[in-house]
Amino acid sequence: MTTQLKEVDVVIVGLGWTGGILSKELTEAGLKVVALERGAPRSSENDYSLPNIRDELRYVVRHDLMQNTARDTITVRNNPRQEALPMRRLGSFLPGEVVGGSGVHWSGHTWRWTDMEFKVRSNYEERYGKQFIPDDMTIQDWGITCAELEPYYDKFEYTAAVSGKAGNIGGQILSGGNPFEASRARDYPLPPLTPILASEMFNGAARNAGYHPFPRPSANASQPYTNPDGSKFGGCQYCGYCQRFGCEANAKGSPHMTVIPIAMRNPNFELRTHSWVTKVLKDSDGKRVTGVSYTNVLNGEEFEQPATIVLLCAYAINNVHLMLLSGIGAPYDPVAQKGVIGKNYCYQTGAAATLFFEGKYFNPFMNAGGSNTTIDDFNTNWAFDRAPHDFVGGYNVSGGFNTPLPIGYRPVPSGTPQWGSEWKRATAKWYQTAMVINASGSVMANRFNCYDLDPTYRNAFGQPLMRMTFDYQNNEHKMGRHAAEVINDIAKSMNPTRLNPASARTDPWTVVPYQSTHNTGGTIMGTNPRDSALNKYLQSWDCHNLFVVGANVFPHNSSYNPTGPVGALAYWTADAIKNRYVKNPGPLVQA
Amino acid sequence: MIDAIRTTAAAALLMTLLLAGAARADGDAARGEARFQDCAACHRLEAGANNVGPSLHGIFSRKAGELADFRYSPAIKRSGITWTPETLDKFITDPQAVVPANRMPYAGMVDASDRADLIEYLSKASR
Repeated sequence: MTTQLKEVDVVIVGLGWTGGILSKELTEAGLKVVALERGAPRSSENDYSLPNIRDELRYVVRHDLMQNTARDTITVRNNPRQEALPMRRLGSFLPGEVVGGSGVHWSGHTWRWTDMEFKVRSNYEERYGKQFIPDDMTIQDWGITCAELEPYYDKFEYTAAVSGKAGNIGGQILSGGNPFEASRARDYPLPPLTPILASEMFNGAARNAGYHPFPRPSANASQPYTNPDGSKFGGCQYCGYCQRFGCEANAKGSPHMTVIPIAMRNPNFELRTHSWVTKVLKDSDGKRVTGVSYTNVLNGEEFEQPATIVLLCAYAINNVHLMLLSGIGAPYDPVAQKGVIGKNYCYQTGAAATLFFEGKYFNPFMNAGGSNTTIDDFNTNWAFDRAPHDFVGGYNVSGGFNTPLPIGYRPVPSGTPQWGSEWKRATAKWYQTAMVINASGSVMANRFNCYDLDPTYRNAFGQPLMRMTFDYQNNEHKMGRHAAEVINDIAKSMNPTRLNPASARTDPWTVVPYQSTHNTGGTIMGTNPRDSALNKYLQSWDCHNLFVVGANVFPHNSSYNPTGPVGALAYWTADAIKNRYVKNPGPLVQA
Repeated sequence: MIDAIRTTAAAALLMTLLLAGAARADGDAARGEARFQDCAACHRLEAGANNVGPSLHGIFSRKAGELADFRYSPAIKRSGITWTPETLDKFITDPQAVVPANRMPYAGMVDASDRADLIEYLSKASR
């Protein structure tokens, strides 16, 4: 028995950063918006305040803010020759499932992706020739430019309270910032976070090696701040519980304390939590969507919510899953290389070294989500010649900490037994003396890295699970080896007492341990419907009243964290809908 | 040993408070409004408007931990503090030193004139 509800202007599936931004912007434009969030309502005052939030068992081990794999998960394999098996416990990545989504438990790292990504194929072909890009590397230009996104990056940074130091304002390179970043109109809203010992030591070593270190831009307010919408931020207290936790001090830019409460105060907005969308509905000729079907997960009641516009704003993997379950767009076939939904799934790679300095006290329990110094010399620096190293893409290198958990972070020199009295002695001796140098690397699209519906396994609603086929390719192995060498050179120059050196990730990818919640692609944006699912406004080429927002629109993955362009593209899409689409509904780009 | 640490900590605290001096009466409310940005992410001034922190409406003359509809830490409830310009001045200098194990995630406002400005602002705005 399905209850038919009254039609609204807009239904939004998922209420994290993108759903929150679009809810606020579109209700302010006068549209009636209903947001459907499958997780629970959560707030800073009731859920993230002290002392309850500092609970590593609840939030890290038991994944209190994350998707429940007993209800829905994905199946995973490295290549089409393998049989995919369900991921029964979260590990490699952690999709959020509460009001605020993954924007509650992120660290805050906020980057501006540049034309090096948006014009990736053109750039490499122009400089190195067509032959430089392997045949199975399905990278393509995005159909958007950094200049178009600049005002939207700015808007997101000012909304989320990003602390940082500009490196390029209006073409003028500024010392102390990232000299390789694209030109920006103005500085970050807040000055950089207070550096910690590990980031300062890395800063000195990187500078000595001739690199260009700068403080990592991060949505951890370095001082109290009121954003342009009037949302109040406290100053970061460097409590050490950032990634995987909600912020106890309202200092981490998160949708649940910025855009969502503003939408909630607007009478045009309605939020329904515990509402699990199972399908996007289409009209008879498949040219338009008509709304969504959803289930109240508390009591099993089913509803149909008709809407003039449908926005998919769920976690990147779940947006793609809904497109496949709803039969919108042609599913991607990696053998024939036809179809688009599921195409170009990408992840990230990396390498890390742990340095031990007898006599130093790094206080790893005390830092912000973005307490790192970073170098971009092997990333957005186009002067770095990739030809001798034979890889496409890049990586950034950081020194510092990113939520070293009080219980879970146990650095010991390699060779230490993994348990027992010897391990206990070593962890007590070395805990305070360790720091990490870490590289985060891009992953280029490959024709066989993709999503489709699993033929065997089903979720709690009886629907096929999403199947992920992914592995690192030669390109990433080569880049990983280069990154490990750079890290180890910097590390050795710092003369640590002991060093666990960095090495490239060349083993097949697995779902454990945690690596990065930066899953991209599957419903990619592009210049034409033959090789992309969405146009540059994230509008479906197939159904013009359907927009799909999130990192699932990225045609490949860079070394940067995705939230900067995810937030910017949400504002960009909001403008396209309220300024153009509602006045003249139809394709915003002619196919 | 623990008593010795406690004694040392208490002595250090006393020194801090002596050096900080008594609450100054010459605060500037306009400057204090800017200082209130340190508090505003968690505390509101309207009656009953509890957020991450309790409403500060009518704080002066209230006992610490008194609002029925806010979940205080046991430490604040036990503290026996009655909020006056003087006790608030001491508390916000170093909240964890004055009331150990309280739940306010705030490291403290070290500058005495900043505190005087804030308290002057609060004494008007919390009414």
